[in-house]
Amino acid sequence: MNCLEFRRLKLADPRRLTGAARTHANACAGCFAFAQRVDESEALLERALMVPVPEGLADRILLRQTDAIRPRRRVFALAAGVVFAVAAGAIVLTITPSNDAARLAIEHVLNEPESLTTFRNAESPLFHSIVHAFGGEIKEPLGRVRYVKLCPVEKGTGWHIVLETPQGLATLILVPDQHITAPESATVAGWSARAEPTRRGYYAVVTGSEGTTSLVHRLIEERIQWNT
Amino acid sequence: MGSGQRQFEQMVRAFSADLYRYAIRLCRDRFDAEDLLQEAFARAWKAWPELRDLAAAKAWIFAILRNEHARRFAKKRISVVDDEFDESEFPSAPSSVAGLEIEQLFGMLPLTYREPLLLQVLGGFSCSEIASMLGTTEGAVMTRLTRARQALRSELRCAEPRKSAR
Repeated sequence: MNCLEFRRLKLADPRRLTGAARTHANACAGCFAFAQRVDESEALLERALMVPVPEGLADRILLRQTDAIRPRRRVFALAAGVVFAVAAGAIVLTITPSNDAARLAIEHVLNEPESLTTFRNAESPLFHSIVHAFGGEIKEPLGRVRYVKLCPVEKGTGWHIVLETPQGLATLILVPDQHITAPESATVAGWSARAEPTRRGYYAVVTGSEGTTSLVHRLIEERIQWNT
Repeated sequence: MGSGQRQFEQMVRAFSADLYRYAIRLCRDRFDAEDLLQEAFARAWKAWPELRDLAAAKAWIFAILRNEHARRFAKKRISVVDDEFDESEFPSAPSSVAGLEIEQLFGMLPLTYREPLLLQVLGGFSCSEIASMLGTTEGAVMTRLTRARQALRSELRCAEPRKSAR
């Protein structure tokens, strides 16, 4: 086996090396070091993919499957379904119409609650460069940057930013290349969002109340100049 | 409890965590992921008598989940791309990528590269098993995995100097 073959095998399946490949790595210092580097990045990747699993997941799955087997339980399942439908309906009713971008921003925050309690890439220069890439210029700081993450959003990716503003914690979602025609507002489950179009896409502000969202939106309009 | 039901329960307990992690990468939403998982296991239970080889249960349930995702969310089969890839398929990393972790770099890979990598890292499947699940050849899977890892390693190398320069 030559080095090229070894490296191809190692990159294709790092954990299943053939005997010949292992022999080669033991005899070749370059490939041995290469294998170590691949193992390191593989371990990083594995850790990144190991997201926490919701508590009781297997039990919930089994409950639903066994409900299908045991007719007695169907009544309870139906009752639970009705309760869920009513609860879901109550949430849906609180959504303002024509507000997809704003509503999606709230859903995004609800799906990532850790963004409000943890610090991640909490660096002003990074925030400035993201806003700049989005066609904005920060004239005055908006507040302390606590969380910055590139997140999957519907039909693409967007920047999820949490700021500590004078009005309290506020989430700013910047979605490039997706356009809305007019400002949108939504209130879902006690959260309020306002989405504003820009030339590069749109941004949305999400906070815990309509008043705060309005104040933070005003702060953004005062302190960020949207150039292009 | 019948032996079939007991075996099914063992399968749920053994694989639901890995399947959930796979589902969340496909759906990119934790609620959709759990819903997808429920549906996949519901289909698996219905088809349980057809499973002849218990040793193949893991690949079987992963394939069910993948097909269910394709049916529900993509509304079409996930496209199988030939061996020939254009390197320009990789989206260029934004300059502000420095400081972002491998998780985000992973999310930027094209689906054709991301999916076999997920199946291998989370599912522990071999290239040949992944090939059967994706309906392609083992060689094609090896190529995708090699290029996926090369892309990740290259982006990580690019991100490091930028990170340390700040």
